Amino acid sequence: MVAKVDRPHRVTIHFEKNHLLEIAKFMHDELGFDHVKGVAGIDHPTHRKIEVLYFAGSYSKPEIQDLIVILKAELPREDATIASAVSVWPSSHFHERETFEMFGVKFEGHPDLRKLLTLDNWEGPPPMLKDIKFPEMGQR
Amino acid sequence: MTTETTQMKPPAPPITITKTQEPSTLDVSVGPQHPGSGHFRMLIRVDGDYIVSVDPDIGYVHRGCEKIAEYRNYVSNIPHLERPCIIDAIHLNWAYVLPVEELQGVVVPPRGQYISTIAAEMNRIMSHLYWLAINAGVFSGHTTIFMWAFGDRDLFIELAEMLTGARLTYSFLPPGGPRRDLPFGFEDKLSKLLDYFENRLVEYDHIFFSNPLVVSRAKGIGVLTREEAMELGVAGPVLRGSGVKYDVRKVEPYGAYGDVDFEIPTFEEGDSYARFLVRFEEMKQSVKILRQCLQKIPKGPIARKAPLVAPEGEAAGRVESSRGEYTVMVMGDNSDKPYRVKIMNGSFRNLAALPFLIRNVHVADMPIIYGSLDYWPVEADR
Amino acid sequence: MSQETLMDFAGAWIGKLSEVVKTITGSGPVRYLVNWSRMYALWPVHITTACCSAEFGAMMGPRLDPERFGLQAVAGGLRQCDLLIVEGTVTKKMAKRLKIVYEQMARPRYVIAMGDCACSGGLFHDSYSIVNDVHKLFPVDVYVPGCPPRPEALLSAIVKLREKIRREEVFA
Repeated sequence: MVAKVDRPHRVTIHFEKNHLLEIAKFMHDELGFDHVKGVAGIDHPTHRKIEVLYFAGSYSKPEIQDLIVILKAELPREDATIASAVSVWPSSHFHERETFEMFGVKFEGHPDLRKLLTLDNWEGPPPMLKDIKFPEMGQR
Repeated sequence: MTTETTQMKPPAPPITITKTQEPSTLDVSVGPQHPGSGHFRMLIRVDGDYIVSVDPDIGYVHRGCEKIAEYRNYVSNIPHLERPCIIDAIHLNWAYVLPVEELQGVVVPPRGQYISTIAAEMNRIMSHLYWLAINAGVFSGHTTIFMWAFGDRDLFIELAEMLTGARLTYSFLPPGGPRRDLPFGFEDKLSKLLDYFENRLVEYDHIFFSNPLVVSRAKGIGVLTREEAMELGVAGPVLRGSGVKYDVRKVEPYGAYGDVDFEIPTFEEGDSYARFLVRFEEMKQSVKILRQCLQKIPKGPIARKAPLVAPEGEAAGRVESSRGEYTVMVMGDNSDKPYRVKIMNGSFRNLAALPFLIRNVHVADMPIIYGSLDYWPVEADR
Repeated sequence: MSQETLMDFAGAWIGKLSEVVKTITGSGPVRYLVNWSRMYALWPVHITTACCSAEFGAMMGPRLDPERFGLQAVAGGLRQCDLLIVEGTVTKKMAKRLKIVYEQMARPRYVIAMGDCACSGGLFHDSYSIVNDVHKLFPVDVYVPGCPPRPEALLSAIVKLREKIRREEVFA
């Protein structure tokens, strides 16, 4: 696990994907980071990995209210699964659904993992992956 | 780290939709076409006059903003990244430009910060007037406030047109600072408008916020306690209506907010009426901030030239938009197009509270709760 | 009379009757009266598609007051409305529902495509999830370009639509 502070008010922590629930519980119970602002995915096709980011913040403790802690994990592109943080942070429910739909990342333990934003019968690939090129994109 | 003072209550129950259906219930689709806000569907399960549970169905305005952002350069991204919440466009623009400037190492001069703050606070008033007209007015059946609020909103829009050249979609803040200086005569017109608007706010109080019909419909409805609000991660006036004093303008000041003096209205009750009052008080505070900005604005340049490319790295910036904390993460890769733009906005986060609040309420309470959350579907869907 | 001659006789009379009706309604006071009543009571469907709805709301406001043209925002009365204003981007998920709304309206019904996104895709023309050509879903009467168009432009589109209605046939 590696933690970096290279921008003001932001802490970036790289961690192994298996430790998500322990880290989340520690941050939630001991440190007081009680909510998640968003869950993002970043696709790196050349390195064959997908990064999942959790943006955690705190409402209850005034001394750390100005921090955003960015938790990053790397997942292999072919088999992108990670445990779901909904049991610790209920605010990540809809964000994880969106990341599942846009990047194909499966969150194990999520109570209701289904499509959120795209068409009802969207059979296509997860739209945000980099090597999925829709033919009309970028045309002038 | 010490576990001190308050033990937090157990977190809110997870948001699940019960799939089994009792024989006495009926599934109704408050469909994408409804006499209210934008395209958003709620599948409600009704038992007589009570709503048992609700399943929000979003995505009817999903235009793929984040994917399109990877195909346009940093400046061309501004028009389409400010469209998600068009009535609040300056805040969206600013939230996107803050991390880009951080990556590029550009610092906006003080006069530019003040001009951005003036535009942002005017936009906050416009957005709250739109909320008042439609989400609080039309949803509860009060069409007089619709007419009044839209009439006053047009006066602010005229001033914004004088400043930026457009009615709603300003594209006013490229990386480096605002595009234009304050035009001649702008400051006088704005102070006159603020004097007029303060008198109008008293009239709004008389016909809407102290109206016994509105009070009886909204008081005690849709209560969100303090711990639940923090655990569900809601943002903006929904959070401040439940007693949590949190505003990005005070927590991580940007623009000119560090120099001006204002308060954050917070109410303890957590019901819909408290959320109404938070926005009403915020309009008054915006008037106060605008007056101070007009007095204190320094002289000097308004913008610095920013490069066209951004180096490698990630940066996250946030502003307090009218619907909550708007956070944008931009990842650059040494080219003139961003590698990834991730948007986290108040409407999408407040969605977590919707199935939690609309449970075991009357059908007639549903528009009031939905209106008090100020959910803007285009922003949540991006 | 045999059945054939009876059918011919009935067909000829129905033909003559419809010609008479068309002649009566085709010119003069009846046509004027029917078109006048249609153009002075255009009720728009309350459907706010995307960002252009903010300018639609501004047009319904007190400054431009479209109620003097008979435009009332009738909340909840979909089947009594006759004007569908497609404001803004139409996504694929929404296109199905928009078609259902269009087919629920009773004839005569008119469509205004408001905004660049409804006319031709606009700012989001290369997105994977939107429909660029709204005229493939249903026929459009007036196109209003702009991003978003000014409320005055939308009101002038409604005036143009009223001109179009004034000149049209009763049984189109």
